[in-house]
Amino acid sequence: MYYVARVDEEKCATYKCKQCTLFCPEANTLMFDDDRNTAWVNEPRCKGCALCVYVCSDLLKRDCIEMVMVTAED
Amino acid sequence: MGLKYIQPAPGFKEYLPKDYVDLIDFGPFGKEVDVQYMGQYKEILEEHPMCAGCWMAYFVRVFYASLPNPEDTIVIGTAGCARLALSQAAVPFIYGNYGDTNAVASGLTRALNIRFPDKNKDVVVVAGDGGLMDIGFSMTLHSWFRKEKFTTIMVDNEVYGNTGGQESGMSPKGVQLKMAPKGKKFEKIPATELAKLAGCVYVVKIAPTNIKRVAKVIKRAVLAARHFGPTFIHAYTSCNIEYSIPTEEVLKDAREREKKDFGFEEYMTDEVREYFEEIEKKEKEAKAKK
Ligand SMILES: Cc1ncc(C[n+]2csc(CCOP(=O)(O)OP(=O)(O)O)c2C)c(N)n1
Ligand code: SF4
Repeated sequence: MYYVARVDEEKCATYKCKQCTLFCPEANTLMFDDDRNTAWVNEPRCKGCALCVYVCSDLLKRDCIEMVMVTAED
Repeated sequence: MGLKYIQPAPGFKEYLPKDYVDLIDFGPFGKEVDVQYMGQYKEILEEHPMCAGCWMAYFVRVFYASLPNPEDTIVIGTAGCARLALSQAAVPFIYGNYGDTNAVASGLTRALNIRFPDKNKDVVVVAGDGGLMDIGFSMTLHSWFRKEKFTTIMVDNEVYGNTGGQESGMSPKGVQLKMAPKGKKFEKIPATELAKLAGCVYVVKIAPTNIKRVAKVIKRAVLAARHFGPTFIHAYTSCNIEYSIPTEEVLKDAREREKKDFGFEEYMTDEVREYFEEIEKKEKEAKAKK
């Protein structure tokens, strides 16, 4: 089981702010998809720190990212 | 080093790992990618074993995204946390013995100047507070006294993080750590003041909270070292483990420390200031033309 960040893509696409992608400590992990206009998480690379949630929810009050438990099969 | 080494020989590309191919196709080599596009291209830093939510790991990420010429850069690290990530990037990395980074960098910079007299090859040391201001203190200071032309970046987590929490010269006075249970009795070493006295031509103190500013000072430090002399960046990169900071509050902590005692400071000699004004003016003009 892993604790990872997951982006609510529909909600995220309404803002297109890209701020979270600039604060994740990991490279190539929290990415922005230009075609779909949303951030997305490369889950096997996410370390579950929840810094992106701090940026999206606490700083920007946008609440587009939540932390979830996933299993290897997910 | 050099762009030619990144391009695979004809016919080989299809056999390379996907991450490498992505780096060739979507990486930053050979073009200037603004740090604001992090998350939208293939970054040169790969997966690494630094802790979740580590602000030093974050700094290393921004560092690699800010290098003016990653294909012509050699990074020198040493024992301590940062090298765990520094060594996992598509940039040549040298592990200097603990304390010796700035001596290794001095020799390397001189050798590169002899081998490539007409090319810019950048040498950057990235090491911890213990590595640079305690055990490597004399090597660090003497490289500055000798005016060696490379950049030194101190990732200051105010503790010996990698070895489990001993007090460092950069720990703040009074702080209690696992292996300093009585509290530190001395002041934090004024590293940036020492750097200025010892002859660094560009000196910065920064808490990485504003990514554009971090990128700007890294680029400036590398460029000033190319042409003028030693440059130094003192960055606050907390240890969430030894200082018990919940991972999601690491940025909040950096912002608080920035307000309290890690406010942005930038020093440069007149010569360096004139140089930046000139190149930044040229860059603006080039942008306007586009
Ligand atoms: C010559 C030598 N002395 C001691 C050590 C043990 N050692 C490894 S990491 C470290 C401390 C690292 O602290 P710092 O440089 O502040 O970096 P951090 O891990 O906190 O990022 C020490 C003392 C070593 N590897 N080599
Ligand atoms: S939880 Fe941490 S590692 Fe995972 S995407 Fe968010 S900031 Fe990045």
